[in-house]
Amino acid sequence: MYRLWQILDRANTGPFCEVEDFNKKIFMPKLKEVIKKYGIKYDPDHPVSDDDDVADRVWQAACELFLEVGVLNVDTHRRIIIEESELKEALYHAPGRYLVGEGKDARWWQDRCPEDSAPPFCIFSGDITCDEEIFLPMTVAYCQEPLADGVCASILEESMGLKIKAGSPVELAGVTEHAMSLRQAAKLVGRPGMFLVAVGTALSAMAQVAVSNDQWGVRYTDARLIGGLSELNIENDAMNKIAHCMNYGCFIGNLTGSIYGGYAGRAEGVAVLETAYHLMGLTIYQANFQQSFPFHLHFTSNSGREMLWLISVTHQAVSRNSRILSTSNGFLNAGSGTEMVLYEAAAHGLTSTVSGGHLWETAVARNKTRNYATPLEARLACEVGHSVARQGMTRTQANEIVNRLLAEYEENIATAPQGKMFQECYDLKTAQPTSWYEDMFGEVKKKVAAMGVDFVY
Amino acid sequence: MSNMESLVEAVKAGEEEDAVTYVKAVIEEGHEVVNIVASLTDGMREVGDAFGKMELFLPEMVMAADAMTAAMDELKPLIEASAAGMVAKGTVVIGTVEGDVHVIGKEIVVRMLRANGFEVHDLGYNVNTLDFIKKAIEVKADIIGASALMSTTMPNQRELVKLLTEMGCRDDYHVIIGGAPVTQPWVEEIGADSWGENAAKSIEILEGIAEKIGKNNV
Ligand code: B12
Repeated sequence: MYRLWQILDRANTGPFCEVEDFNKKIFMPKLKEVIKKYGIKYDPDHPVSDDDDVADRVWQAACELFLEVGVLNVDTHRRIIIEESELKEALYHAPGRYLVGEGKDARWWQDRCPEDSAPPFCIFSGDITCDEEIFLPMTVAYCQEPLADGVCASILEESMGLKIKAGSPVELAGVTEHAMSLRQAAKLVGRPGMFLVAVGTALSAMAQVAVSNDQWGVRYTDARLIGGLSELNIENDAMNKIAHCMNYGCFIGNLTGSIYGGYAGRAEGVAVLETAYHLMGLTIYQANFQQSFPFHLHFTSNSGREMLWLISVTHQAVSRNSRILSTSNGFLNAGSGTEMVLYEAAAHGLTSTVSGGHLWETAVARNKTRNYATPLEARLACEVGHSVARQGMTRTQANEIVNRLLAEYEENIATAPQGKMFQECYDLKTAQPTSWYEDMFGEVKKKVAAMGVDFVY
Repeated sequence: MSNMESLVEAVKAGEEEDAVTYVKAVIEEGHEVVNIVASLTDGMREVGDAFGKMELFLPEMVMAADAMTAAMDELKPLIEASAAGMVAKGTVVIGTVEGDVHVIGKEIVVRMLRANGFEVHDLGYNVNTLDFIKKAIEVKADIIGASALMSTTMPNQRELVKLLTEMGCRDDYHVIIGGAPVTQPWVEEIGADSWGENAAKSIEILEGIAEKIGKNNV
């Protein structure tokens, strides 16, 4: 913890810089420079890269970028700069293995490498807001998934019928309801000690602090996400959350999504930046894991060819060069109840797993519309992840399969079907998928198996 | 290529130094300042369209906008001296509402507005409702734009309209709201004026407003 105070102090004493200058004069030129210096080049034929050298060059570029640019505190207008020796120290001390959750439901979460035969750690999450009435059945549906090592619930927009407003007492009511219902769902499925990442309904630091409770709320065996601002920015509120989580003792996930088409530009820049975010998470957010969701500016998704390439390269860069744990968060174009979304889920789970990542599955329907997500999409991504790890699939084989998966949906990305709501795909009473969606799942799984995935079951 | 064409190309490519060189050349050649600005604006519109079609992205847009600004700086003395008395298409106060840190969408809109000749005062994110209004009064804005990406911060868009009404200045501004969860019914429910569904649509709407208030002279 001693490092935390040193680092937070730099938010008040580091070099002064305005955000516009930071983007234009510091971040963008340096990123351009390292892409050139390390010869990083997007390869459309390899949505799953099998090139160790490119992964290592991306890692080096990310280190250079991060050490030189630092992170801008947008409240104090100062750059937090990390020394090389501090980065090395942090990397050396990264444990690479945590026991999360508690009792019989506790799980080891361990670092992986590309083509690792150990399966990825799987967090199930729809990453979307939902109606208050369906929060419990929807969360039960996620918690009961056999491959779920952890769950992050949907987000509430209302509490007791009142619209939740950030920073208001209704936010406090909403986050309490969220935390308690999530805990209840885990208990209802017989997994009371399950590792939970919570609570997404809490925007303010105040609301995050309010749910830290060992009985009904977020336990210290659970985790919470603290977001970074785009790109390489941090705010005081996030630092309050960091200090609280460290004191309380829960795990911290640093939530970052570099934007394809944003200040980082295209695939090469986003790969370098997203890798650099892992260093920011480790040193500044004091994160125990990175929650990584690079996304395409126009589509808010990451299942396209260029996105898969940069996901594969980022996770290989990180997993080959450090023990940092990182979840690869799917952002899919199509919605639940469509074949397209299942192919996208398979491609995302496969690419991330063979690249050494862990899985956080999955946002669908461009992560835009209330109630649009179900655990079935996540199930396919994670079943694919487990299976390809167990069968020892190489990146070269994975690339062939991902190219075939892409052929199923690539052309339809811009016009992806919105699909259906959770309550149309699941029976709310039993929290089970409807038979038509389960049949569709089975059909797509068969086709994915025929492409070369040996499903464990 | 004429110097005028080279100027437009330099702006589109984000070549700041070239843009300055060529703008000096066209001034030397004696072109009407109104025509120079019109060519530059057309060039930037092409940049905006290319962004919409995903042919280019934010970094290229930032560079083009910078080159445009550099060229406009050279033209400033001429614009001020010109009888046409050119003014910005409209003054916009914009920000992301209180409690919300999502800025990318708003930043794109800001850049596109600037590129299209609007005067923009960007208040950043986590902006208190009253601060929007105070700034709008201070700079005599025509338009207030508020971004909210979350259901939990959207109420602040309603608050903005309400406060404007209570302060008796609702009719002084066109209120446009945006952000992924915003919809036309929400615009109507809270009594805002328009919905900036995406950057291109927002520009289209606000150009219409500029026309209406008689500020579309470029
Ligand atoms: C990127 C992102 C983040 C980044 C933001 C980085 C940044 N500084 O901007 C980070 C990681 C920080 C983040 C944090 C959080 N996020 Co977030 N995030 C997103 C995501 C995936 C994409 C947003 C985006 O940038 N889109 C790309 C841009 C280009 O699109 P856009 O914003 O819609 O803008 C376009 C138009 O809407 C329009 N427009 C936008 N603004 C304006 C304004 C005007 C005036 C006009 C005319 C037009 C206009 O023009 C733009 C260009 O075409 C959305 C999901 C989604 N699909 O939107 C969730 C989302 C907004 N986040 C969400 C949540 C829950 C959070 C967190 C609470 C997570 C957490 N547990 O910590 C925190 C919130 C912290 C806070 N206090 O605000 C939820 C909100 C749910 C809700 N309550 O409604 C969403 C909807 C995801 C989801 N489906 O659940 N997030």
